[in-house]
Amino acid sequence: MAQLEIKNLHAKVNEDGGEEILNGVDLVVNSGEIHALMGPNGSGKSTTAKVIAGHPAYEVTDGQVLIHLDDDEFGDEEVPEDLQTWELLELEPNERAALGVFLGFQYPAEIEGVTMVNFLRTALNAKLDEREELFGGDESEDDEDDEAGYETSPMEGAADEGEIGVAEFQQLLKEKMEQLDMDEAFAQRYLNAGFSGGEKKQNEVLQAAILEPSVAVLDEIDSGLDIDRLQDVATGINALRDEQGAGILQITHYQRILDYVEPDHVHIMLDGEVVMSGDADLSVKLEEKGYDWVREEVYGTA
Amino acid sequence: MSKQVHRTLSESQVTAISEELNEPDWLRELRLDALQSLDELEFPDVIQTPGRTWTDLSKLDFEALVDPEGALEQKERVAPEGVEVLSFAEALEAHESLVREHFGSVVDPQENYLTALQTALFTTGTVIYVPEGVEAQAATIRTTMAGQSLFNYTLIIAEQSSSVTILERQETAEEGEFDERYYSGIVELVAGENSYVQYGSLQDLTENTYNYGLKRADTDTYATANWIDCNVGSRLTKTSVETVLSGEASESQIVGAFYGHDDQHFDVDARVWHENEHTTADLVTRGVIDDEARSVYEGVQDVGREAWNTSSYQRENTLMLSDESEADASPKLIINNHDTEASHSATVGQVDEEDLFYMKSRSVDEHLAKNMLVSGFFVPVLEEIEVEELREDLNGRIQDRLAQRTA
Ligand SMILES: Nc1ncnc2c1ncn2[C@@H]1O[C@H](COP(=O)(O)OP(=O)(O)OP(=O)(O)O)[C@@H](O)[C@H]1O
Ligand SMILES: [Mg+2]
Repeated sequence: MAQLEIKNLHAKVNEDGGEEILNGVDLVVNSGEIHALMGPNGSGKSTTAKVIAGHPAYEVTDGQVLIHLDDDEFGDEEVPEDLQTWELLELEPNERAALGVFLGFQYPAEIEGVTMVNFLRTALNAKLDEREELFGGDESEDDEDDEAGYETSPMEGAADEGEIGVAEFQQLLKEKMEQLDMDEAFAQRYLNAGFSGGEKKQNEVLQAAILEPSVAVLDEIDSGLDIDRLQDVATGINALRDEQGAGILQITHYQRILDYVEPDHVHIMLDGEVVMSGDADLSVKLEEKGYDWVREEVYGTA
Repeated sequence: MSKQVHRTLSESQVTAISEELNEPDWLRELRLDALQSLDELEFPDVIQTPGRTWTDLSKLDFEALVDPEGALEQKERVAPEGVEVLSFAEALEAHESLVREHFGSVVDPQENYLTALQTALFTTGTVIYVPEGVEAQAATIRTTMAGQSLFNYTLIIAEQSSSVTILERQETAEEGEFDERYYSGIVELVAGENSYVQYGSLQDLTENTYNYGLKRADTDTYATANWIDCNVGSRLTKTSVETVLSGEASESQIVGAFYGHDDQHFDVDARVWHENEHTTADLVTRGVIDDEARSVYEGVQDVGREAWNTSSYQRENTLMLSDESEADASPKLIINNHDTEASHSATVGQVDEEDLFYMKSRSVDEHLAKNMLVSGFFVPVLEEIEVEELREDLNGRIQDRLAQRTA
């Protein structure tokens, strides 16, 4: 059981006189739960996601983002009691990821020249290394060499094996790709480069499946997906929860995906705050009544 | 200008070099003419941006750098079947008229001060002769300079319907007792009708070596001359890689890669002249600079009046890894015939923040993420290299550099 706890989060654009975007966000996502975060365009949903992950474009002016881990969070290695709660805001993005927070991007980057298979294996090994560092395993010195880069062509992947070797990883990747009904050929393509909008989203879910996060924040993972792919992606998200026990914070505009990935909780954000929370019925109601209804309920005006 | 070197150079020194190599009269005359001409010749053009001359060759102390008698080297030559890869002496012995016909035909010895200096003083070189119709594997040359200075000359003659790939490497032996060194290399490529040549070069000189390079191809009808020019070493490099598309429907690709760190300085030019109908050129350069390194790139596509139906493309990208590095890039397109499809672009920038954040959000730390981005950045260039040995060598050097990155 892990818990992502967002407390009174305030953030602004990280420049002099930058706009205040988040005005006290409160949210708690436990592993095994599915939360939907909805709200009109520009209300601060993506900003919330990026601040959780540590995007440098934003400055946090108040509040906390905590992750609470279980002692058996990472399998065999027991998490000592004094290292079970972390203030994410003090950590680098890669450290947050190593602690089990995953951000699926609304607009994933396209990285030319770095193959999917190479990137994902590097990421998985980096996560394991980083965890060792965070939890006091003092093997960092051996790892320095690994960081230097690849021994062989970047087109073929790293020669130094890392914890998860090439063969083992290829097997893992193949399984996860099959689960998402992704063509194996994608493994050799450059990360998101030239991927269609839907393929990129599918790829985000694939990466989550491989990195096995405790909590995954998925930003509009459903936008731009056709019906078939929506179902594949939904299957992938449900598997994250059902098989890996991940907590899901799903940002979306549409009821459509919520029919496949049924939320335990629905939250509505307005102007940088979560103003309303409820169960799955809330999103259905929202679909009928629109945001004016929310404003009326919250502020008493339309 | 301080071109004092020729004041200390004498005819007798040049004659001595020529006699030592047992050269025919015509070559000795060429050398002496070149020596004579030094007085009037200018340094090769360098890029100027407002208020700044990036590479000031006239500031180099050639007198101190060049030691006409200290031209030591080790040479390895590997010839594939059907191709002759010869030292100059061997080539003059076996194919004198061929060498005489082509030597200096693509690069005029008196084109500039540095080509003339090279012609007067070169002590080593290779002639690659690919006879008509021969389809050959890779020819390789490795030059390791061991003295104070070295002038190396390469002449490639690809006859009608022949094809070959060539890999030439320049290195420096143990740093020795020299504070500074000078390496100069000229490559002339004569691409006969319907021939195909890919010439790749990896310059990996020690970082106390000043380096001048000029490589130029002249293409006959239907010929293809492709260049891969990789610069990793040297203190300062001034290099130009060029193709004159003389023959109808001839083609050229000029691919460049450089990676500078510390206070290395790269001045890289790629130039193509479309002089006939239906010619195609593709210029692609990618460079990375780190620390206080500087790079300046100029790419020129010159479409002549007679060059109907020209296709010409140029892309250059410089990636700066540190705030102290400096770069400039200027792509130039000169069109004298409007029956042309052309594009040209150049960018200078830092690692994309969004790319970096994306990778970090997948638990890859910043250092490793940057290294992966740099490796990936060079992939389009690596993918163009046909000789596996060169691809592996270049990638190996890139990885070495990345391993040295501290930031
Ligand atoms: N880096 C930035 N610089 C300036 N303004 C920003 C920046 N990032 C976000 N904003 C502004 O903050 C507000 C919230 O943006 P955000 O992307 O979080 O909205 P959203 O709820 O995800 O909207 P959508 O549903 O359209 O994706 C918007 O008005 C946006 O223009
Ligand atoms: Mg958004």
